Amino acid sequence: MSSTLPNSPLTTYVLNTGDGVPGARMALSLHRLDSLLVIWNLVTVGTTDEDGRCPGLITTKAFTPGMYKMRFETGQYWESLGQNSFYPYVEIVFTITNPNERFHLPLLLSRFSYSTYRGS
Amino acid sequence: THVLNTGMGVPGAHMALSLHRMDPSTSLWNLLTTGTTNDDGRCPGLITRETFTPAVYKIRFETGQYWGSLGETSFYPYVEIVFTITDHSQKFHVPLLCSRFSY
Repeated sequence: MSSTLPNSPLTTYVLNTGDGVPGARMALSLHRLDSLLVIWNLVTVGTTDEDGRCPGLITTKAFTPGMYKMRFETGQYWESLGQNSFYPYVEIVFTITNPNERFHLPLLLSRFSYSTYRGS
Repeated sequence: THVLNTGMGVPGAHMALSLHRMDPSTSLWNLLTTGTTNDDGRCPGLITRETFTPAVYKIRFETGQYWGSLGETSFYPYVEIVFTITDHSQKFHVPLLCSRFSY
């Protein structure tokens, strides 16, 4: 969709803290809440690269103020490594008021724990 | 559960939360319990052993409301943690350590 885009204002980074490696080849999707209909619209699907990153998530133009959700297919990820996990997936819902800033949404993840923070 | 406000170094007290179970045939969430954390950030009595059947569950924490009541904004309007219970004879502790910009 926007795979050739150099500078998405929203970036992510998945780290497998259980094994001490990047969370590579994890499927994820970005959604925006339609505030009128109160339903989630799918904006992008992607997969993290070998480094646990996923460039080209959204264009600056599409990155309007609103409520967004990033869904990480963590259950699938652990299964592909032959492991189970406490969480079938991780969804992080966040609010963008000023889309002119840059937002970095990392996910630090093990089979039984995860954490995220707002970076830039 | 146990909610900790890591931004201020205090328990996440008086935070509204709810526990839901996914209905496997419809994939809809059924509300099981609503509650509010006490002064210690805990919420006893979330579920009984009988009701705690193997399934996919979700705890939703009204973190946005919580920060709002402290006069602050937050990056996250709420936090939902979805987890799978296969062995319901065990005890599970799902704590939430949160600040305005991290959890």
